[in-house]
Amino acid sequence: MTDHPIRILLAKIGLDGHDRGVKVLARSFRDAGFDVIYTGLWQTAQSTMLAAMQEDIDVVGVSLLSAAHLTVMPEVLRHRKELGIENVPVVLGGIVPEDEHHLLYEMGCAAVFNPGASVEGIVEKFKVLAADRKRLSLSEAIAGYESKNNAALGQLITYIQRDQVDGKWTPPAGSAKVFGITGAPGVGKSSLIGKLGKAMCEKGFKVAVVAVDPSSPVHGGALLGDRLRMMWGEPGDNFFIRSLSSGKEYGGLGPHCADVIRALDGYGFDYILVESVGAGQSDVAIRDVVDKTLLVLMPESGDSVQFSKAGIMEIADMFIINKCDLPGADATEGQLKSAVGTGRPICRVSTVRSEGIEAAADLLLN
Amino acid sequence: MATKPISDPQAAPVANDKPFYGPQDVAGIDYARDLANPGEFPFTRGIHPEMYRKRTWTMRQFAGFGSAEDTNERFKYLLGQGQTGLSTAFDLPTLMGRDSDDPLSLGEVGKCGVAVSSLDDMRRLFDGIALDQVSTSMTINAPAAILLAFYIAVAEEKSVGPDKLRGTLQNDILKEFHAQNEYVFPPRPSVKLVTDTIEYGTHHMPQWNTVSISGYHIREAGASAAQELAFTLADGMSYVEHALERGLDIDEFSKRLSFFFDVHNDFFEEIAKIRAARRIWAKVMRDKYGAKLERNWWMRCHAQTAGVTLTEQQPTNNVVRVAYQALAAVLAGVQSLHTNSMDETLALPTENAVKLALRTQQIIACETNVTSVADPLGGSWFIENKTNEMEAEANEIFREIDDLGGVIGAIEHGYFRRSIADSAIKQSLAFDSGEAEVVGVNKYVEKDYERIDVLKIGADVEKQQVARLQQLKRDRDAKRHQQSLEALRKAAADDANVMPFLIDAAKADATVGEMMEVMASVFGRYDGGPEW
Ligand code: B12
Ligand SMILES: Nc1nc2c(ncn2[C@@H]2O[C@H](COP(=O)(O)OP(=O)(O)O)[C@@H](O)[C@H]2O)c(=O)[nH]1
Ligand SMILES: [Mg+2]
Repeated sequence: MTDHPIRILLAKIGLDGHDRGVKVLARSFRDAGFDVIYTGLWQTAQSTMLAAMQEDIDVVGVSLLSAAHLTVMPEVLRHRKELGIENVPVVLGGIVPEDEHHLLYEMGCAAVFNPGASVEGIVEKFKVLAADRKRLSLSEAIAGYESKNNAALGQLITYIQRDQVDGKWTPPAGSAKVFGITGAPGVGKSSLIGKLGKAMCEKGFKVAVVAVDPSSPVHGGALLGDRLRMMWGEPGDNFFIRSLSSGKEYGGLGPHCADVIRALDGYGFDYILVESVGAGQSDVAIRDVVDKTLLVLMPESGDSVQFSKAGIMEIADMFIINKCDLPGADATEGQLKSAVGTGRPICRVSTVRSEGIEAAADLLLN
Repeated sequence: MATKPISDPQAAPVANDKPFYGPQDVAGIDYARDLANPGEFPFTRGIHPEMYRKRTWTMRQFAGFGSAEDTNERFKYLLGQGQTGLSTAFDLPTLMGRDSDDPLSLGEVGKCGVAVSSLDDMRRLFDGIALDQVSTSMTINAPAAILLAFYIAVAEEKSVGPDKLRGTLQNDILKEFHAQNEYVFPPRPSVKLVTDTIEYGTHHMPQWNTVSISGYHIREAGASAAQELAFTLADGMSYVEHALERGLDIDEFSKRLSFFFDVHNDFFEEIAKIRAARRIWAKVMRDKYGAKLERNWWMRCHAQTAGVTLTEQQPTNNVVRVAYQALAAVLAGVQSLHTNSMDETLALPTENAVKLALRTQQIIACETNVTSVADPLGGSWFIENKTNEMEAEANEIFREIDDLGGVIGAIEHGYFRRSIADSAIKQSLAFDSGEAEVVGVNKYVEKDYERIDVLKIGADVEKQQVARLQQLKRDRDAKRHQQSLEALRKAAADDANVMPFLIDAAKADATVGEMMEVMASVFGRYDGGPEW
């Protein structure tokens, strides 16, 4: 296991906006070779632990500088229990009066860090906790998967991604439709997937997302930032997000991405949305693992000459122009139309304004 | 090479490693053009000729916790101890525009500041305080216009008109996107709201500072001194440009823009930063925006010592750090000052800790005689060279921001957040490697240092506040309340100035959360832009 990155989640819960410390930690953990999911500001205890379950997190780190720890941490630990992931240690850091530390340890926190704690010391502690974590065995994970246990699904995906299933098991066939969502970094793929996922769940479908983020080439760690944009409210069991780091050799897609998709398919999801990095030539690979490819663009992201140069233009089955709240959407749509001709749908949305989402979701649903 | 202090993430330019400075380091300086006497353009040496000889700075300790009554008591205590202005800290729900009974407020009511959800809370907060006698500052941003509306309405009940009110609304939404994270609406409508308050203040509140353009939060989030300087002044220019677009007269509104800087550990750099800020602002206001009145060229500022430099370990050492930082602020010629308390890393300050912090300022003012002469460091080769360097670095950063389409464009590109996070990481690495030495933490460490008292806020504050708010929601005139919110919605949708409608809604007992929700239905909510 040691050659696989430890997966940690860093969370800010409640209205606390102090994010300097948590961001410093996120980068330091990445540079120490961890896969880091930072879920962003203003999360709830429930969404945090749900993420820990889906992502098969080795250690959860909660950062609280708002003096709300004695309200928030019991909630975190309650959700941990309810979700059946008591094998995931939870660490607290921030402004925590010393005379309250014992209360936190007693309720089940694995460690508490205060201002002045060295990042090195924190990283070491996480390594120890991750090494001690009792994960489900492969056969337990498979059994859990078969009885539709989401925590088991989360852990089984890790076995698949690490190539530890060894042909001992293949998922049952499913009937999910799989969409690849690709496009240049920053065009809003993750934000869009969050909104699409919500719209599809509200129609009663079960939706899974596989989000592939680039690993840091230097340290082997990764900051997996897609999830942060995809989360909304309290999604429950019908919206399952899994972030993968792309690894070094696999170009646009992570290792065993196709097998992970198959496992999600067999588990019973109706739709699987796969976000992949970048929109370069390497992303043409996405076509092999999905049914349809959707290219996301934004206003002013290039003139028509550039459109036609990218190989991805040819393989895309549909186009979404996001950020239509920004100027230039008409021009971009015009150029896109002349570049791709007719026959392939083009749809305009603004995820920040939640405009056009229904129509885009309908494109996928039909 | 000398060890770099933690306040200097950008690895100081080579020039700073020189053992000493001399005339050659100030060769290009023209006294009349670049420095001039205190009180003369470009005000590098201060905005008044006599500075503190005439009047010392305003001593203004940021205070707020628990219920309105708790904070009211602290206000009266501070005024009794010789403090000369009030400064209100709100709790996180209020800062985020949420009512105390909002599910997201659970566990945070009254914890990090005072809870104010309604006109009634504001009334109790200022009970027994003559609003025409004190100057009040309010640290509030996304819902700033609403809190101002409450304040105006409470003053009216005490027969004090808006024209008599003195104080400052922080109301600086741009730095929320860069650093403090208390934005609610997207950048553009957020700035529109700020412009509404500038417009209202210009016409009705001649003694009120409508925006406190803040570098403090930017710096505390991790920025370097030069970044703090440049980002803050760029924000200031952005507000000016929006007000001009609104059709306001530069000479009418700009006199009520004020600034707020951090005072960090690197003593001379901090002084140079504030001197450079005055020079840049004066030139910009006169030459770029064409302000004609001399006082509109002034960069007036509040300063606060740097909370992030204070340590949990050996907390009494913090008193010493604060004293040096406060001295730097005074030598730089600031108009008002908050000194942090020694229990900064533990919780909101206890009464004793905040008193000691106030005494620290009072000792500088009364006993050191540094107040007897304006800009005592002016003319120092080192200080003047450093001031030039700060200005040059700021100009470089202004160009970067311009290239991204101005402040809002740069926000949308994630420029500020990324730059600040990069600097924060550098500081953290310097601390972890021991290159940046912090006494009591990675140097001269003691295991069993002496602990100090910690303020605790009980959970009963939240229960009581929620009960009271729900009572108010039941008792108010439902029809009037509904109509006032409807009028607000219409004003927002019609792009009218919302201030009068907020004041009406305040009087109809509409709450902070309700007014924010109505505006969000028109403006949208912002999901946060790029994180890094
Ligand atoms: C910087 C700062 C700010 C900046 C924040 C910038 C930003 N984007 O982060 C600004 C100026 C904007 C700010 C604003 C406010 N602040 Co403030 N702020 C601080 C300050 C001075 C330092 C925090 C910091 O960033 N330190 C540097 C980082 C690197 O350290 P750190 O976060 O502590 O993290 C370290 C450890 O704690 C630990 N750690 C932290 N999190 C985690 C998580 C995990 C998993 C682990 C393992 C470890 C860990 O490891 C880190 C490395 O050592 C503290 C006081 C202090 N000195 O600690 C007050 C403080 C936290 N703020 C406080 C308050 C009240 C506020 C405001 C509510 C004030 C107001 N009423 O307006 C606002 C709210 C802002 C918001 N949106 O939430 C109070 C909180 C009181 C309490 N908890 O009882 C404090 C304690 C100051 C005080 N004594 O009054 N603040
Ligand atoms: N203006 C605007 N910004 C958006 C929109 N959708 C996403 N963004 C922003 O674009 C940035 C990148 O979004 P993200 O979903 O992470 O993009 P990805 O890299 O393609 O996955 C974020 O700052 C979003 O807030 C939109 O509809 N309009
Ligand atoms: Mg993404």
